[in-house]
Amino acid sequence: MKSSGLRINNAELWGGTIWFAISLFVLEQGRSLGHGTVNQPGMGFMMFWLGLVMAGLSLAVALQAIKSEGPSVRSLWAGTRWQKTLIVIATFVVYAYAFTRLGFLLSTIPLMLVLLRAIDPVRWTVAIPLSLGAPLLVWWVLQRLLQIQLPTGMFEIG
Amino acid sequence: MDLLGQVAHGFAVALTPVNLLYCFIGVFIGTLVGVLPGIGPISAMSLLLPVTLSGTPESGIIMMAGIYYGSMYGGSTTSILVNIPGEATSVVTCIDGHEMAKQGRAGPALGIAAFGSFIAGTLAVVGLMVIAPYLARFAVAFGPAEMFSLMILGLVIVTFLTQGSMLKSLLMASAGVVLGLIGLDSISAQPRLTFDRIELYDGIGLVPVVMGLFGVAEVLTNIEQGIKRTVSSTKITNLLPNKEDWKRSSGPIGRGTVLGFFLGIIPGGGAVIAAFASYALEKRISKTPEQFGKGAIEGVAGPEAANNAAAGGAFIPLLTLGIPPNVVMALLLGAFVIHNIQPGPLLMVQRPDLFWGVITSMYIGNVMLLVLNLPLIGMWVQLLRLPYNILFPMILLFTVVGVFASSNNVFDLYVMIAFGILGYLARKLGYEAAPLVLAFVLGAIMENKLRTALIISAGDLTTFFTKPISAVCLSVAAIMLLMPVIPALRRKREKVALEDGQN
Amino acid sequence: MKRTALTLLSSAIIAATVASAAAQNFPTKQVTLIVPWPAGGSTDIAMRAIAEAASKHLGQPIVVDNRAGGSGTVGPAQMAATAKPDGYTIAQIPITIFRLPLMQKTTWDADKDFTYIAHLTGYTFGVTVRADSEFKTWADVVKFAKANPGKVTYATPGTGTSLHIGMEQIAARDGFKVTQVPFKGGAETNAAVLGGHTMLQVESSGWKALVESGQLRLLMIWTENPSKNYPGVPTLKQLGYPFVFDSPFGIAGPKGMDPKVVAILHDAFKKAIEDPAVQATLAKYDMVVNYKNTADYVKFVKEVTETERKVVDMLGLKKKD
Repeated sequence: MKSSGLRINNAELWGGTIWFAISLFVLEQGRSLGHGTVNQPGMGFMMFWLGLVMAGLSLAVALQAIKSEGPSVRSLWAGTRWQKTLIVIATFVVYAYAFTRLGFLLSTIPLMLVLLRAIDPVRWTVAIPLSLGAPLLVWWVLQRLLQIQLPTGMFEIG
Repeated sequence: MDLLGQVAHGFAVALTPVNLLYCFIGVFIGTLVGVLPGIGPISAMSLLLPVTLSGTPESGIIMMAGIYYGSMYGGSTTSILVNIPGEATSVVTCIDGHEMAKQGRAGPALGIAAFGSFIAGTLAVVGLMVIAPYLARFAVAFGPAEMFSLMILGLVIVTFLTQGSMLKSLLMASAGVVLGLIGLDSISAQPRLTFDRIELYDGIGLVPVVMGLFGVAEVLTNIEQGIKRTVSSTKITNLLPNKEDWKRSSGPIGRGTVLGFFLGIIPGGGAVIAAFASYALEKRISKTPEQFGKGAIEGVAGPEAANNAAAGGAFIPLLTLGIPPNVVMALLLGAFVIHNIQPGPLLMVQRPDLFWGVITSMYIGNVMLLVLNLPLIGMWVQLLRLPYNILFPMILLFTVVGVFASSNNVFDLYVMIAFGILGYLARKLGYEAAPLVLAFVLGAIMENKLRTALIISAGDLTTFFTKPISAVCLSVAAIMLLMPVIPALRRKREKVALEDGQN
Repeated sequence: MKRTALTLLSSAIIAATVASAAAQNFPTKQVTLIVPWPAGGSTDIAMRAIAEAASKHLGQPIVVDNRAGGSGTVGPAQMAATAKPDGYTIAQIPITIFRLPLMQKTTWDADKDFTYIAHLTGYTFGVTVRADSEFKTWADVVKFAKANPGKVTYATPGTGTSLHIGMEQIAARDGFKVTQVPFKGGAETNAAVLGGHTMLQVESSGWKALVESGQLRLLMIWTENPSKNYPGVPTLKQLGYPFVFDSPFGIAGPKGMDPKVVAILHDAFKKAIEDPAVQATLAKYDMVVNYKNTADYVKFVKEVTETERKVVDMLGLKKKD
């Protein structure tokens, strides 16, 4: 707590600011939905008041961040393998996009293969059977035993 | 007929071979669906409802009840092993349970969860037999004002679940409430925060939120930090809780049982609150509160006991008043109805064989569950020996399947990914997910009750303070909010005293 | 290892083709029936009994999904917005689906957004108080309400339900004021009146077991004729009010369903309400079968909307735009 003051890359400050923006949004939504009166509370009643509470809380977080130094944004990701995390997220988004288009099996088998090979590569002799076997097993259990329909995609496979 | 006679009569019904078989099928399916995420007791019971028609009402209802409390056992497994809570009640188990697993103590965590559930489940059945008729009034004592105050208390308790700053947990809890309000308003049927996306009219599903915030976020964090810090490399010690574990867990199990049983009686949200109220209580009275969140076995034993006792308590409003306190009880009601039996105040008088048969079958079911679950622990722990680069794609596959199976909608897959990223960022900045999830579950109920309570009181806000139950809940909440301030003061005083002593 | 996986894959493909061909014979999987009331109320119990019987004729289970709220409109409205018109999602359609659009902005259009399947039955509504209440008869309520305007609170399953509209019509006729407290359905209103949170409960016969066990007292019923189940309990007409309320209801799916699928569902539900076991359950809750086929149901929807428009107008609850 020796050095205090406003540092622009203070992660806590950023957190507080984002929360403040969210609370303003909630407040505005509550207002536009109509908060009604105390004896006939409307649809936005709860959101309006909650927005106020959140605004107060987020300002308190931001104030604390200014008073006592928080970690910088950069330091949070320093020395981590954030690239790998990004790969997983990107793969996952592509997967969700392909899920209904290609069907469960045609999208899940490549997903497994990518995940097994791209992060901490698993030997091919393990990766291939696993990425084929696991989705097929799941497919069989869901589709056959539990009768839960999985998407078949444009090729009607799965 | 006195109580003992009735119990004996009940056992005579429950111990017939056919009922034993149904009971076993019930708890077996329950354990299975408890472990599988996205496929909760609700879908299993719905699917099996027609099967109950073939047998007597007793067997059918015994089986349905078995699925319910069986799934309560199974629900903790994925929470502990891979940080994926199967349902809202096991969110709390994740906090210390998964931490224990990371330290190589998955066995004791699973073990205490099973034993704690067994003890709580059995005691709750005793409670159900002895005091059920007297508690009917308690179930309806919670009107809108009381429910609202209880939910407020619940949300305040939620913030105790976390290690970090209370401000941050309160923010997460508020966000959870807002997320819970998405969808068609429960009073006027008009859309809120749906941004004209018809997928949002239903509201956001609990399963994708939980899978994202817990399962996916955990994977993302682990990948970023490299696999060294994960469970696979740590040595797995013993499989069952040792003497020390038992010593530390017995108190939490006892208190969790009482808390769970009573909160479970209250319709709507009681069971969820029970689990985390138990956690907060244990953390509060513990001599080593700093261990909570870092693998304290009390944090598994208490909530697990509470949620199983709550499952017992939940039978009270159904059996005594015909009012089902949650969706699962509603399905059970369906089973009664199909057999042309109306659960309610007259059930005990008109169909004592059924009433006592079902209750005593729960004793037997609990024993079966213990026998069934203990050998499984070894198998589950083996799973953790898999290297993380093989395990994590399996976990992700598991979440995808869970999300899709629960809603059959690819939109939920995107919701899960979004919440996975949010959860990952929140962890980075020191915001914890548990308050958000629990507030998400309670938010919509709370809002509805607030509005109803204000209509009843004609806008008089003092209604929340003049009704005794409501006043008690709010006072406890206020004390809890002020508590972080008080220890700070006390610590200062102690410090001063210490320095004085040294002089 | 690779070869087994490939064999598995090819057999999976064959299995999948077979499955998609079978999808044309409706139904090939469970049908979800949305009941827009909480479980345990009379609608829920009746719909469960009907669904159970209908599932035998369909050959697939019918799963009841309780989605309460918005006076019984949240469930159907969600269905209209999100469900595929494949017949695997259908909903009970309460009268509020026709009435609420007249009172406020809604997300659905009762004429266009649903495929009506069959009309099934109607309710017995009644007014109950807790056994220890000072209200022994309906006259006591009227007397108290006239002396204390707005003080009498009554629990209903939602704003704009027939219980709400009916009670307001009664109050308007006698010139007193009462306060409506909207809940989501019978299970909640039972709890509200038992716990003393509201003075009255105005609901369909979900209160039956509690009335029979003496925990609640039934003050009056809103049917045409007195009920055999409750001798001595007056109807609205016997009390001098020219009203009968029974809010008949049916089932519908999202718009654009295949007529063949509609016919299959219609037949299953028709057979279900003809089933003596179902009729026994319905009779227990004083619900009388009120069957209409698909075409008559559509006609009926138009008629109801017109009558409702007049009532809503008269009570001053009309939508203000």
